[in-house]
Amino acid sequence: MDLLDWVLLVARVVIVFFALLIVVMVLIWFERKVVADMQTRVGPMRAGPRGVLITLADGVKLFFKEGITPTNADRPVYAIAPILAMFPAFLAFAVIPFGTHVHVFGRDVPFQLADINIGILWVLAMASPNVYGIVLAGWSSGSNYPLLGSVRSSAQMISYEVGMGLSLVAVLMYSGHLSMTAIVDQQAGVFHLLGLGWLPFPRWNFVPQFPAFVVYLICSLAETNRPPFDLAEAETELVAGFHTEYSGIKFAMFYLGEYVNTVTVAAIAVTLFLGGWRGPAYPAVIHWFWPLLWFLLKLVLVMYVYVLIRATLPRMRYDRLMSFGWKVLIPFGLVWVLATGAVVVLPEVYGRRAVLVGAAAILGTVLLVSSLPALFTAGKKEQVRS
Amino acid sequence: MLRDYLPVVLLAALAVAFAVASMTASRLLGPNRPDPVKLSAYECGNEPIRLPKGEKFGVKFYVVAMLFIIFDIETIFLFPWAVTFRTLGLFGLVEMAIFIGLVFVAYVYVWKKGGLDWAEGQGPASVREARAAAEADLGEAARAR
Repeated sequence: MDLLDWVLLVARVVIVFFALLIVVMVLIWFERKVVADMQTRVGPMRAGPRGVLITLADGVKLFFKEGITPTNADRPVYAIAPILAMFPAFLAFAVIPFGTHVHVFGRDVPFQLADINIGILWVLAMASPNVYGIVLAGWSSGSNYPLLGSVRSSAQMISYEVGMGLSLVAVLMYSGHLSMTAIVDQQAGVFHLLGLGWLPFPRWNFVPQFPAFVVYLICSLAETNRPPFDLAEAETELVAGFHTEYSGIKFAMFYLGEYVNTVTVAAIAVTLFLGGWRGPAYPAVIHWFWPLLWFLLKLVLVMYVYVLIRATLPRMRYDRLMSFGWKVLIPFGLVWVLATGAVVVLPEVYGRRAVLVGAAAILGTVLLVSSLPALFTAGKKEQVRS
Repeated sequence: MLRDYLPVVLLAALAVAFAVASMTASRLLGPNRPDPVKLSAYECGNEPIRLPKGEKFGVKFYVVAMLFIIFDIETIFLFPWAVTFRTLGLFGLVEMAIFIGLVFVAYVYVWKKGGLDWAEGQGPASVREARAAAEADLGEAARAR
């Protein structure tokens, strides 16, 4: 690596970091505008044209606020927790390919920070450290509500992490690659829906892996503590949850981390299920621009779905949240992993007949799993009577 | 190989530097006028009766943490298999079905023991009775409708 390589590398990192900040800024404004629309309000409108600079104004305001450290707080941990909650989200974004590449100074610069060959594992690994930020924030505040909020939210996040992992395993089996770039390449080309030549559809993973896509969307909402799973900060019961005692710029760090996380999980959904930067057309004018545009459009689409869910559904009750994660998503994820395996492997061994074998096996498993709850509740009632 | 991680390390350094810099800037720019009431733990304006230092919390949370370890490790075992399962073919699929089946037995046992139920059997008897009565009322209301 010579000097130019280093300069390009550092420039890439800095540009991606600040671009991510700007995307987050715009998406917070977008979310507030859409929610306002659904509640027939105007939403932010003062800072900048149509209020687009509202997030910047809020951020600048928080710089000038007093940062309070409560007397009971564990000072070093209390100061480190916001950083721990913020930076893993940025790291997870590093493996997302958000475009092809651009030719500058005689070098090809890829639109991806790091094409690590363990892409999906990296994403899972970086989804977990977030829990540390939340647990340590709640524990070190030395106050009741933050502790309750953080313990709750950590139990929620680790429960839904299992479901998320299972949905990612299914995608991995289907595409056969761990690297994000390879998964995007695998989604090139078109299907012919219903065997009709005139009805082409992009070969994106969300069609064959639709159940995994739904599981992923639900788990990603729970992982990022977004409504309707925002029990960590259920203000009716816990004031503001784990960040009750935080103020000023430290609170801003939590807020930033939460939204960078949301952007990252949406970007992962786009990459794994919606074809990444692939789009219907790449005009020859500015060739690096079009993939980036398609990626951003899909990102906004996924974010729009998240916002619609937030504006429509009420917050879930905690016991229902936990039992949904453990009793529905995990068995479903396991069955779906085996079903994907059967659908991919059996035709190679048994040819066309395998479809029947596979269908029978899946039907049998589904019947077995769906009969389990009935069996248990029957046993329980007897116990109560005796 | 390891060079692939260089951008990630740089990004981590940049993110931490950004956080530390903004916290330092805020400390320099913002006011600092502490007083005992402002620095006390939040409790809606009251004196907190007790604070959570050394406090215990529900054993359910520990159960969830242990279950998480079991199932997350199961998922991690699935990853290397998922990468190579095309070459393993039917053998790999049957092997994995047996493995998932074995873990599923444990899952069924935990479910049956009530390890996956959150609210049931928790709290004092009076609370449980009140909850049962409320649920019965709701059921009746639904039937009346």
